[in-house]
Amino acid sequence: MKRDHQAISGAGGGGCGISSGSKGESSITNKGKLWEEDQDAGDMDELMAVLGYKVRSSDMADVAQKMEQLDMVMGTAQEDGISHLASDRVHYNPSDLSSWVQSMLTELNNPVLPNSDSNSSKTQQKQQIVSNNQSQVYNDDSEYDLRAIPGVFAYPQTKRIKTSTGTDSSSSPPTESSTRPVVLVDSQEAGVRLVHTLMACAEAVQQQNLKLADALVKHIGLLAASQAGAMRKVATYFAEALARRIYGVYPQDSLHPSYTDMLQMYFYETCPYLKFAHFTANQAILEAFATSNRVHVVDFGLNQGMQWPALMQELALRPGGPPVFRLTGIGPHQPDNTDALQQVGCKLAQLAETIGVRFEFRGLMVNSLADLEPKMLDIRPPEVETLAVNSVFELHRLLARPGGIEKVLSSIKTMKPKILTIVEEEANHNSPVFVDRFTEALHYYSSLFDSLEGSGVAPPPSQDLVMSELYLGRQICNVVACEGVERVERHETLAQWRFRMETSGFCPVHLGSNAYKQASMLLALFAGGDEYRVEENDGCLTLGWHTRPLIATSAWQLAAVV
Amino acid sequence: MVQNHHRGCHRQDHHGTVGENKEKRPKFFINDHVDILIEILKRLDCRSLCVAASVCRLWCTIARYDSLWENLCFRHVSPPPSSVRSVVLALGGYKRLYMGCVRPVRSRLGRIRKASWARDEVQLSLSLFCVDYYERLGGGGNSNGRLVGESSPSSLRFLCKPVNV
Repeated sequence: MKRDHQAISGAGGGGCGISSGSKGESSITNKGKLWEEDQDAGDMDELMAVLGYKVRSSDMADVAQKMEQLDMVMGTAQEDGISHLASDRVHYNPSDLSSWVQSMLTELNNPVLPNSDSNSSKTQQKQQIVSNNQSQVYNDDSEYDLRAIPGVFAYPQTKRIKTSTGTDSSSSPPTESSTRPVVLVDSQEAGVRLVHTLMACAEAVQQQNLKLADALVKHIGLLAASQAGAMRKVATYFAEALARRIYGVYPQDSLHPSYTDMLQMYFYETCPYLKFAHFTANQAILEAFATSNRVHVVDFGLNQGMQWPALMQELALRPGGPPVFRLTGIGPHQPDNTDALQQVGCKLAQLAETIGVRFEFRGLMVNSLADLEPKMLDIRPPEVETLAVNSVFELHRLLARPGGIEKVLSSIKTMKPKILTIVEEEANHNSPVFVDRFTEALHYYSSLFDSLEGSGVAPPPSQDLVMSELYLGRQICNVVACEGVERVERHETLAQWRFRMETSGFCPVHLGSNAYKQASMLLALFAGGDEYRVEENDGCLTLGWHTRPLIATSAWQLAAVV
Repeated sequence: MVQNHHRGCHRQDHHGTVGENKEKRPKFFINDHVDILIEILKRLDCRSLCVAASVCRLWCTIARYDSLWENLCFRHVSPPPSSVRSVVLALGGYKRLYMGCVRPVRSRLGRIRKASWARDEVQLSLSLFCVDYYERLGGGGNSNGRLVGESSPSSLRFLCKPVNV
């Protein structure tokens, strides 16, 4: 019905002139004359009837709202997205405005997918359009609990109306099982659809239905383009990761470590997560070092050494003067044989000399922390030197190999540190079930990207922001696309780490109020500071965005052996 | 001071006498008394100090004295240990500390500040200052951390960005 299609796209804007109560006759007089008037039973709005539309007076507000929605959807959908409207859809009785709008909405919400087994859904939809007064419903698979994604973009709370359930229509992606049918009259429904499609694709991948997954991934691309801001970026990264998984093109992890270091520097500067990690860990270490004259810190991931200037400064200003500070930094092998660790060590030594702290540095290159032996570290007896072990976002990588974490924890125990500080992401991205992992990661990185967006960076997006997102994007790729030993981003929750540490023979050290105060102050300095939340969780500190904790710092000591 | 007092309780008929006194006493020109000037400028707030720096060359030079900025930094705090001074001076001086760290920290925390936080604000500023110094160290030798073409270290950029806190 080409004529209909043109009229629709042309008057899509005009159709919206029919807002609640107003009469937009001038914009649709042309349309009205095209259809024959079909006199029906009474109770129809008289003015609309003149134009040839049959709308019940009681339905007017409803129809108006749906018209607005239709206009919005058509405005945002791409050409490809609505091309199927020009295909072989049959609209019966378009003068019944109410059901016509319903049918348009349903069709746009349940797009006909190419090469998928959706023939059944097509016929289903046609049948439903023919029968009037059937409320089309929209499936809300609440098992995904989209409300859990904080921030506005993912699941906005505005303009939601739940009506009583009608009959189940086909669900938007055929593989989803439909649960409670709910009508959502949302102005951001494209975003919700995007999330649904992502979930559906993940399920398809898990069920090895790669053809369907492929189609869905392409669809995600379209939907993502209609979104703005953080949601679009997250969706794009997840779509790319899914595509990599589907096609088996795993990203090389053997990128030059300096590239990842550089990305991490941007991440460090843009948002407070790393700063929070460093400051809270430093506070715990400082308190453990309170009475020592010789101190030794083993850093499991030195990177650029950004954590240590602040610690050295606090040691320098300690009443009683600074102790002798020894730092052992551990890092990966560099492909081009440059000694990046030594360069960092030199910089730190320069700083130490400036502020008057006696400093020694040693760098150790290992491929994995599990390769570390305590004797490599030149540990001195506790009476002589106080030891602290520090791990920021490093321990979760050990979970990729069986036995890795146990070996490292037992090595740490032989070293007899006074304190062990651990900062980890607060999320469970290590579930053996792919869909669970995917869902968790989607929620987690959505919050993270939302916080980046909210960090007050004015458009056009700065290089800082783009690089920080790239840093996170590589993590997303690893969580979704990789498997086995290559999947190193095996984040686990604080509760899981607690259990592991306690069963390995450590007991918790509570981070004091100083750490909490300092962290709160640090957060308050950032744009969007009141959207970040520092919380105390049974002695550990977590930093979150709105209600979602994102990283957690905890401190441990050896359980007393009686 | 004495002169003011006289003038304050003065009567019309003594006007002539005071006028004579004024002519006999040398004029008090503040620029001749740099130590008094320093004492006065020490007590100014940041904005006034910057305005004062535009008055004349002498004032401009004095306004750059680091000790004035030291007072600004530690104004609301009990005197810090003497070791702080050597550290701060080594890291770049009080003026830099104030402008780069203390001022933005104070202004952003102003809204939620509690009285007991003054010391911690300074402490936090010092830590951030140290991190900044460390980054500035890297400019020459460390080519890994930044892209080619990047000039200034930016760990404090989050403080410099205009923020609607």
